[in-house]
Amino acid sequence: MVEERARLPELRERVKWIERPTAAIHGVLPFGIAAIDRALPGGGLTRGALHEILGMGGDEEDGALAAAFAAGILGRLARTGNGTVLWCLPRPDLYGPGLAAHGLDPTHIVLVRAPRDSEILWAMEEGLRAPGIAAVVGEVGSLPAVASRRLQLAAERSGITAFLLRRWCDGGQAARERNLPNAAVTRWRIAALPSQPLPGEPGVGRPRWRVELLRCRGGEPACWEVEEADATAHVSLAAALADRPAAPVSSEKYRRTG
Amino acid sequence: MPLADALSFFPGLATAAAEPAKDAAALRRLAEWCSRYSPWTAPDRVDGIRIEITGSAHLWGGEEALAADLATRLDRRHIAGRIAIADTLGAAWAMARFAEGKSPVILLPGDCRNPLIPLPVEALRLDPPTTQGLRRVGLKRVGDLSGMPRDALTRRFGEMVVRRLDQAQGDLPEPLSPLGEAPTRRVRLSFAEPIVDPADLLRATERLVEDLVPRLAQEGIGARHLDLAFHRVDGRVERIRLGTARPSRDPRHLVALFKERLDTVDPGLGIEDVILAAFAVEPLPPEQIGLAGHTPTNETNGIAPLLDRLGNRLGFAAVSRLEPRESHIPERSSVRVPVASAHSHASVAPAPDKPPRPIRLFEPPEPVEAFWLLPDDPPFRFAWRRRRHRVTRADGPERIADEWWRPEGPGAGDAIRDYYRVEDEEGRRFWLFRAGLHGGDQSLRWFVHGVFS
Repeated sequence: MVEERARLPELRERVKWIERPTAAIHGVLPFGIAAIDRALPGGGLTRGALHEILGMGGDEEDGALAAAFAAGILGRLARTGNGTVLWCLPRPDLYGPGLAAHGLDPTHIVLVRAPRDSEILWAMEEGLRAPGIAAVVGEVGSLPAVASRRLQLAAERSGITAFLLRRWCDGGQAARERNLPNAAVTRWRIAALPSQPLPGEPGVGRPRWRVELLRCRGGEPACWEVEEADATAHVSLAAALADRPAAPVSSEKYRRTG
Repeated sequence: MPLADALSFFPGLATAAAEPAKDAAALRRLAEWCSRYSPWTAPDRVDGIRIEITGSAHLWGGEEALAADLATRLDRRHIAGRIAIADTLGAAWAMARFAEGKSPVILLPGDCRNPLIPLPVEALRLDPPTTQGLRRVGLKRVGDLSGMPRDALTRRFGEMVVRRLDQAQGDLPEPLSPLGEAPTRRVRLSFAEPIVDPADLLRATERLVEDLVPRLAQEGIGARHLDLAFHRVDGRVERIRLGTARPSRDPRHLVALFKERLDTVDPGLGIEDVILAAFAVEPLPPEQIGLAGHTPTNETNGIAPLLDRLGNRLGFAAVSRLEPRESHIPERSSVRVPVASAHSHASVAPAPDKPPRPIRLFEPPEPVEAFWLLPDDPPFRFAWRRRRHRVTRADGPERIADEWWRPEGPGAGDAIRDYYRVEDEEGRRFWLFRAGLHGGDQSLRWFVHGVFS
């Protein structure tokens, strides 16, 4: 009995360690947009954790917006962590100039092409254990809960940030997978919005996105409308829609190209 | 003699159908097993195996010991065989098949003439018509040919007779083409008791790697291809072949690469030899290897172990980098270069202000069904991948002509493309182009080439 009591502090420490917020270990990467950063525990995207990004509508298949959203984050991660981005995907349709426009230098990327989801998940896990890697991205259709747990643990252990871009090539798979729970600390959904016409300029205006934070460990879901200010990829918050309407956010900008 | 006749003479005769393909495969397997004696090993026609043991006989304690080991192992597997060792391939071939006395026959160095003299002319590896011709004129033994004028022999029987004679006697070199690429460095580990346990296989692998690495270091080289062969007691050979993105001799890294694939090795009833060979060695100065095994000197070296693991599982073509190229053709301005090929560091001037480029580019462009009004108009509606899109806004056209210095290929009709950036009513943005010219010979076709964010 005495012996057991002596172990109590040690056990308390361990419980504390298990329950610790992940953000506390490897720090966060702020978006630089106060409204978004406020919604995230620690004031930014948790480093050394798994984040999931979804598309919407037809883009659930193409994954263009998810890739663009990830590229903006990865560009800043690669710059601050001076390392390589490992991007694992089944079909190599990433386009260098498009990535560069979102602030991610394509020469920092190592592309890994694998036909099966299981191989992509394996490659991601290998990347999460390697030195010299700034971040790992994987594009997968089906995601077993166990695999997401393994990725989250590997990311936590190494401090490397991981992104899962979900791409579904048919509606059935999308419906099955879309709402399945997994171990990612955040789940984002990026949707295209009709662009705002520029005064006096016909044609396609500034791209606008709806950025939804569907799930966030230690935080609340939220939703924003974001606009790319010009071709150099300034992004500004057009309006905060969901739960923080009071924030004066219209003038805030952040520069993705650095 | 037809089979029916043979059976009438000897009713109880056991017969089996000839299976040349299976025989050849079995011979090849046996030849591969023989590579435990030397890397230069090859099946010889349908009934023999030749092994170049120059330089490897001393590992076995001499030629006699090697031949004895081979004879014992063949016997244990109930393979009847005759072994001959000689300076030349021709002499060894002849002695193995036609020498009197018991196997193995080992000719002394430089002694390739006299032992051949009493052998029949069939020992010269000639085709049957030639040997029959020789016999018909009374030339029955190899010794009979030595006294003949060479040009007469050549005139009558072709140059093959003289060439085979010279090759057997060592007057004409005869290179042996081995089964595989000849390895540059090789280490071997044999077990008196065959091993089966995966832990033992791993230990053997570690020992071989530890054995090989100092040799590579001594010469200042690193390996890009490695072959680990497990010789089973039943004669099969299980292999693990590895490639590395950069020349390597880091023992921890190499063992880790092999370890990942060890479970693919089926030890069967046991493994008696393990042979590790390094191919495709390249210079690797000492300073490129960290002291602790993992202190990378630059970014690429740091992730090299990761790239090797990925490449060995998924293929090295699957691991690539995106490199910018100077080209205004969209698909040629960003290319995938396998990381295993040398990094080019091509410096490309930043492109002048171009209209926005998509983040996903489809290769090849995907055809769409499009509807448009005026010649230079973007489509007002298009259908792509089971979905219909109504175009609400569009930018363009941006005309991109093919690079005129490229040869006209099958896509020559698409030499002119007019690109449009269009937005549909959902707000999704696509990169469409129209191939061909109005009034041209070919009808106009529309494609979607990429998707914008």
